[in-house]
Amino acid sequence: MTRVIAITGKGGTGKTAITTLLIKYLQNSNNTTLAVDADPDTNLPETLGSEDERTVGDVREFMLNERDNLPPDSNKESILESKLFEVINEMSGYDLLVMGRPEGPGCYCYINNLLRGILDRLIENYDLAILDTAAGLEHFSRKLIHDIDDLIVVTDGSRRGLRTAERIRDLVDELETKVSNVYVIANKVNESNKETLEKTAKELGLELIGTVPQDEEIAEMDLTGSPLFEISDNSAAFNEMKKIAARLKI
Amino acid sequence: MTNEFPFEISPMFEGERVRKDDMYVELAGPKSKGFELVRSVDPDESINPVDDGKFTLIGPDIADMEEGGRYPLAMIYRISGELVEGDLESIVERRNHDFQNYIQGVMHLNQRYDIWLRISKEAVNKGLDTLEHIARATMMLFKSELPFIENIEAIYITDMAEVEKELDDAFAIYEARDERTRDLHDEDVDTFYGCTLCQSFAPTNVCVITPDRVALCGAINWFDGRAAAKVDPEGPQFPIEKGEVIDEFSGEYSGVNEKAKSLSSGEYERIKLHSFFEYPHTSCGCFEVVGFYIPEVDGIGWIDRDFLGNAPNGLPFSTMAGQTGGGKQVAGFLGVGISYFRSPKFIQADGGWDRVVWMPKHLKDKVRDSIPEDIVDKLPTEEEATDINSLESFLKDKNHPIIERWESEEEEGEGEVEDTSGMTQTQSPATGYQYQQNAGLVPPSQMNAPQPSYNNSSSGVKISFKNAKISIDKLIIRKKE
Repeated sequence: MTRVIAITGKGGTGKTAITTLLIKYLQNSNNTTLAVDADPDTNLPETLGSEDERTVGDVREFMLNERDNLPPDSNKESILESKLFEVINEMSGYDLLVMGRPEGPGCYCYINNLLRGILDRLIENYDLAILDTAAGLEHFSRKLIHDIDDLIVVTDGSRRGLRTAERIRDLVDELETKVSNVYVIANKVNESNKETLEKTAKELGLELIGTVPQDEEIAEMDLTGSPLFEISDNSAAFNEMKKIAARLKI
Repeated sequence: MTNEFPFEISPMFEGERVRKDDMYVELAGPKSKGFELVRSVDPDESINPVDDGKFTLIGPDIADMEEGGRYPLAMIYRISGELVEGDLESIVERRNHDFQNYIQGVMHLNQRYDIWLRISKEAVNKGLDTLEHIARATMMLFKSELPFIENIEAIYITDMAEVEKELDDAFAIYEARDERTRDLHDEDVDTFYGCTLCQSFAPTNVCVITPDRVALCGAINWFDGRAAAKVDPEGPQFPIEKGEVIDEFSGEYSGVNEKAKSLSSGEYERIKLHSFFEYPHTSCGCFEVVGFYIPEVDGIGWIDRDFLGNAPNGLPFSTMAGQTGGGKQVAGFLGVGISYFRSPKFIQADGGWDRVVWMPKHLKDKVRDSIPEDIVDKLPTEEEATDINSLESFLKDKNHPIIERWESEEEEGEGEVEDTSGMTQTQSPATGYQYQQNAGLVPPSQMNAPQPSYNNSSSGVKISFKNAKISIDKLIIRKKE
């Protein structure tokens, strides 16, 4: 069984950075990993250092535009599957799939219905699927990907950030998607707010599984435009990720 | 039986993906060339009969291939048998995808000249060192799963020059097949297909997909319905037995009517597949194009999702779509998929293309090849007609076939109903719209039709409207007891 871990959080909290650190950790593990960028903003490829720009959105548009030019009796599911496999970016140690742009006008019922089946089968090929997803959880409400084992909400070090985490946890209950565990990772934490954070999380009944410190190396990499994936193995942020992975038992 | 192969064969390996890191070799695919082709051979063929079980390889075999390399691949199967005929070729060919995916360590994607295969390192380590293993396993499955195949031989090509040489012939064969497929019509089949994907938001929607009628969303044609219903009989697409032909011209079938009743929970009892006015197909909300009756010219206009302006009746797509959608049967509005314009039965119950009086230019360009030659230049777009007046004068100038209707109506109706265009024009678009919904949806030709008989009888009624403004909440007409 594939373990599906979704990472979510408001824009700016650093969920893509957390996802990147987790994938960096998994690159050298024994697990086969599929990384999915399910955020329409599509930042993950850049932080991972991938230059491939093709997305599932492109495949969907291709199917919509080419539909009437395909042989009338062609098996569209098999074509869609092949096109989807083409946009999987085969990185060293893991695969990357980018969902890309949201749907345009027009009807996507049929294509999405096919995609659901194809994505389900694709995910089964891996030990782990790591999803970087927007706070609105759009892909889950459309049921393109269902059943999440662990939902990790990334927040910044503020009380308001934890409140957001609480709201997302409550939103999960309204989804038809099955979510087994909800965890919180606080990002950009410093010594002065760490303790308060832990206390507030406890009060709100949130399971805080990591506090990633503000890391100067990250800020520097951001400035020079180098992919976060290349952060040094002994940086403070990556060290915390190793601990988080151990807590998640991966 | 499978012991003769160094791999397991089972449907459970379907969907198995061979990742780049685990791949020994890639065959065909987006970065190389290849194809798969099944050819039927006459059992009496004497010069080159099917040599049952024979495998021929032209080019390097797996053992000669470089690890991590990429090579072209063509797979040609020649089949024969008492029941084998040309029409079966594509059905047989498609099973190659299934069967090769049953082989552990082999990934087969796509079809025809888009095939893409990968063989895993693990499989090669276990002894899959020749394509002959794959060919023999596939041929074995062909014969056991499709017993009408009595003889089969396989020719695999991995040499680029040879693949390219054969590719042109293959293209010509695919093309000829597609030509035959496009020639399939409602009368040629016993089964249509239904789809309930839209019922979540249009609960009474009855989507009927036939060879001559694509689904309203445009995404599902008859072949897609057939394939999906076969793969997952419990899924959203399912067969609809045609049943008795009630009226082939308008497309009414007893099987469709029965299904209409059950799918709409009794809301609708009849559906005429190629009718616009009488028992039209329901409209879900996914439709790509909406057709709307224009009472002033007694014609039908079409507007699609991508056209953002207003139609000559002053309404945009969104407004009319809102009126049409929700799974209702709305006389006077009809949602369709773009490909329905290519159907030879396109609203034939109501005059087909002769009845079409307006469509946006980009939609017209898209389906131009399917518009009858004598209509194409007479059919205005937003460039020629933006309101009822310009529409009317364009149709008149070009002598659009709809003019004949005006003339015959005038004869029938003896000019009793006059100046209907004035009725809507004096009103705001919103109330004009109301008017269309309530009264205008019945075409004047049908309104007028009973009139001659009334006129001929001594106790008949005669109604004249001139510049009338009528609003009625409810109107009940009963036969005098």
